[in-house]
Amino acid sequence: MSAPVIWILIPLVAGALILFFVPERLSAIVGGAVATVLALVAMIFPIDTALLISTLSIKISASVQVFGRNFSLNTADGTLLVIIYGLAALWFFGTQASGIANRFVSLGLIIVALLTASIAVEPFLYAALLIEMAAMLVIPLLVPQYQKPGRGVIRFIIYQTLAMPFILFAGWMLTGVEASPGDIGLTTQAGAMLGMGFAFLLGIFPLYNWIPMLGKEASPYVTGFLLWALPTFTVIFALGFLDRYTWIRTSPQLSGAIQLAGVIMVASAGLFAATQKHIGRIMGYAAIAETGLLILAMGLRSAEIVNVTFLLLIPRGLELAVWALGLSVIKREAFSLQFSEIRGLARKYPVAVIAIILAHLSMTGFPLLAGFPPRLAIWQELASQSLVTSFWVFLGLLGLLVSAFRTLAVFVMAEEKTAWSWNESWIQAGMLTIGVIGLFILGLVPQVMQPFLSKLPALFEHLSQ
Amino acid sequence: MLIVISCLIFFITALALVILKIYLPDARYAWLVAVGGAILALVSVFIWLAQTPFGISLPAWQPQTLFINPISFRADGLSWPYAVSISALVLAIMLTAVSRPVFVNSYTWAGTLALGGLGLLAVTADNPLTLLLVWAALDITELVTQLRSVDGPANNEKVVIAFSTRALGSGLLLWANIIGISTGSAFNFVSISPQSGLYLIAAAGLRLGVLPLHLPYSADSNLRRGFGTSLRFISAASSLVLLAHVPSESLSSSFTPVLMALAIIAATYGGWMWLRAPDELNGRPFWVIGIAALSVISALSGDSIGAVAWGCALILTGGALFLSSVQHPWINRAMLVGVFSLSTLPFSLTAGAWLNPLSFFAPFVIAAQALLTAGFVRHALRPSGRDSLESQPGWTHTIYPSGIILMIVMQVLLGLIGWDGAIKVGAWVHALLASLLTVGLVWATPRFRILNPVRAHWVTPSSARFGSIYEFFWGIYQNFGRLSQAIIATLEGDGGIMWTLLFLILFISLLTQGAP
Repeated sequence: MSAPVIWILIPLVAGALILFFVPERLSAIVGGAVATVLALVAMIFPIDTALLISTLSIKISASVQVFGRNFSLNTADGTLLVIIYGLAALWFFGTQASGIANRFVSLGLIIVALLTASIAVEPFLYAALLIEMAAMLVIPLLVPQYQKPGRGVIRFIIYQTLAMPFILFAGWMLTGVEASPGDIGLTTQAGAMLGMGFAFLLGIFPLYNWIPMLGKEASPYVTGFLLWALPTFTVIFALGFLDRYTWIRTSPQLSGAIQLAGVIMVASAGLFAATQKHIGRIMGYAAIAETGLLILAMGLRSAEIVNVTFLLLIPRGLELAVWALGLSVIKREAFSLQFSEIRGLARKYPVAVIAIILAHLSMTGFPLLAGFPPRLAIWQELASQSLVTSFWVFLGLLGLLVSAFRTLAVFVMAEEKTAWSWNESWIQAGMLTIGVIGLFILGLVPQVMQPFLSKLPALFEHLSQ
Repeated sequence: MLIVISCLIFFITALALVILKIYLPDARYAWLVAVGGAILALVSVFIWLAQTPFGISLPAWQPQTLFINPISFRADGLSWPYAVSISALVLAIMLTAVSRPVFVNSYTWAGTLALGGLGLLAVTADNPLTLLLVWAALDITELVTQLRSVDGPANNEKVVIAFSTRALGSGLLLWANIIGISTGSAFNFVSISPQSGLYLIAAAGLRLGVLPLHLPYSADSNLRRGFGTSLRFISAASSLVLLAHVPSESLSSSFTPVLMALAIIAATYGGWMWLRAPDELNGRPFWVIGIAALSVISALSGDSIGAVAWGCALILTGGALFLSSVQHPWINRAMLVGVFSLSTLPFSLTAGAWLNPLSFFAPFVIAAQALLTAGFVRHALRPSGRDSLESQPGWTHTIYPSGIILMIVMQVLLGLIGWDGAIKVGAWVHALLASLLTVGLVWATPRFRILNPVRAHWVTPSSARFGSIYEFFWGIYQNFGRLSQAIIATLEGDGGIMWTLLFLILFISLLTQGAP
């Protein structure tokens, strides 16, 4: 069996089967189990390497041809698949606690499969098409049946669709750049096209305004999943570009532009978050700031780009999952996530509130929590390059911290004599507690990620040199 | 390894108490377990002296190319006095617990012991990364504990504000780290860059409520004696320890006099409010601010030993006073040893303070010190409003005083043995002037109305003057909020897509112009 069949076709089929044949109450368990098994298979069986079990020899071949296009997952991709399907399993298991319909699990599996295909497809420019398909599949999740899509959803699909032609066009121009590397004009145009494409895909300032809008109008859990999945794969896609084209990697202008885009995202998202009064929107701004940090990491003039980027990506999945699940629990009670509606809820939903606040603090880089080590690594690299850039990033994260304090204050400001009670279900409390423990583990012993991180530089050989 | 042993003793004892509380809630030996653990921990900290200085590092975070400094702890002449003070405080809290009206195993005993362990980790932290982690643990512990104990929106908000200011202090330490890295220093306490020094003082000052002056602690908390005292003092010690690591080269900055002036304002304000507080528990936040400000002043004058001395005085003299809940004339008089400890007279606990000249600021520092000492005398000799041991078993009549005596003995002991600040003659002229002024204030307190205690409900966290400063900043924040809302409304409104495309084109045209 080939790797693309296992990690692309099987989840695609499983997603479709869950949608049509699995009852809603079981979909989370089935979807989560499928993702877990895929992660375990990726961890145990190396791709393209024969594994001898007793007299049985097992080898997962690396590639498969579909309509003349090659889908290839190599040995180095194994670690990436463990991370992707491991985090996806976390999201799917959490679905039951969040109380959203089984469409999430089925479409979620299909989305993850398509996004996995985006890192496997060759020529790799086709990834833009697969990412677009995944973005379109998110729409049924974001818009409840028989309802008109909100403004945020429309903007989301407009921007994701606009990204595709820019990237395809840039790819076409890049072949010209490879043929005549001395053509500065063509190189600049190709760079600008590529930049525009990724600006739309990643939601660079000011193209990110759909994110807080979604945070307000869509289900927090679906929004969280979207904010985890799309940027994660887009970043991997972007790292592929950086790794493949030497002139992108070595251009100080482009590196400066990437850093500038990242800094503006972190600073603006943090400062905007500090003045918000809707916790769904605040999660959106935190995700924007996190994406800004990822972009900033990609712009570092350092051999540690891959390490820093994946150090950010792994906790991001956990933070957003915990945060989104907590918001889903709160939203069942409060309907709107405005500050005026959630006041004093800490005494009714202590576990959900603790999870929300810790996930939020983690994304600000609060010590002890999962987000702290990657931010420390960024400071380490960034401070030696530019103190001004470091200051703006610091300011952005401070803005996020202020929004965390305001959220906490609103949650705990219960009226006098309000007793503490516990209104989360056992499964909600269990999932949130596991997530919170995970945040602390990644914050205190980030070396638990090292077995994965140590193998990832092999994916991007040039970037790690 | 000895550091780990001491901390483990605290943590294991706390765990044992929790297990006892759950499975044997009526076990009568729980208190013995608690006291036994605290005694062992104190003894183990004294054993440190045999090996000091020594350290321990945990396995480094990976990848090591990104995380240069491992989590590490070090016991030396500056951290040991804090460690012994914290251990003594925890033991004293356990010993004096016998005087509490409800004397049963509770989670507060386990909490006190766990805080003791965390406190030891904080004061022995060997680099800012380690200190940041321990600070965060302490802050979260305090936040959860306070939120569980207060009621009403206003009190809950105060708790969050206190947590916020401490977290911002941690942020300043992180910023000092960034500055250090930018100047090429490997940010540990041995090689801190001079540019980071003032940020370290500001970080500690912000966490303590000294720079700028604010009251980080809620005065309305139900956590009064016992656990409340450990929470206040261990949290303060964890911040004060940073002052001992400030490099003297960083104090030549032009900002130093400004910080010095702010610290003196905080010390004087704290001293004044402490002197006039209706009782010691209502005045405790001012005691912490006042003594912490004196520690900051010492650090700003380049005297790290003085900073440690004031930190230990805060814990030991304050601990004796705040744990003393029973009316006992003999103990009240014994507590006046604390006056000697605060006097900076030769061979006292604080004799190492003011070794460096304070120049123009000296008279103000003397005044602040005298106010705090006079307030201590007033509260130590205050006769009313305390519990009695009458209803307690006979053995408690011996155990309870031993807790207070322990704190007093430790003050004297630290003045004489074991660390860099011991057996010092010090700035005796300064000490004499402060002592004379203290005597004058003690004499004047009952005679002049302005020095009389204020009523409890008048003791507010901030005066109107300070409130107006914070209102100014709040106004700036609100204006910024309006500006950001206007930008957001534009970008998310009907014309938002056009605006965003316009911005993008501008951005790209700027970048392509910069390209060769």
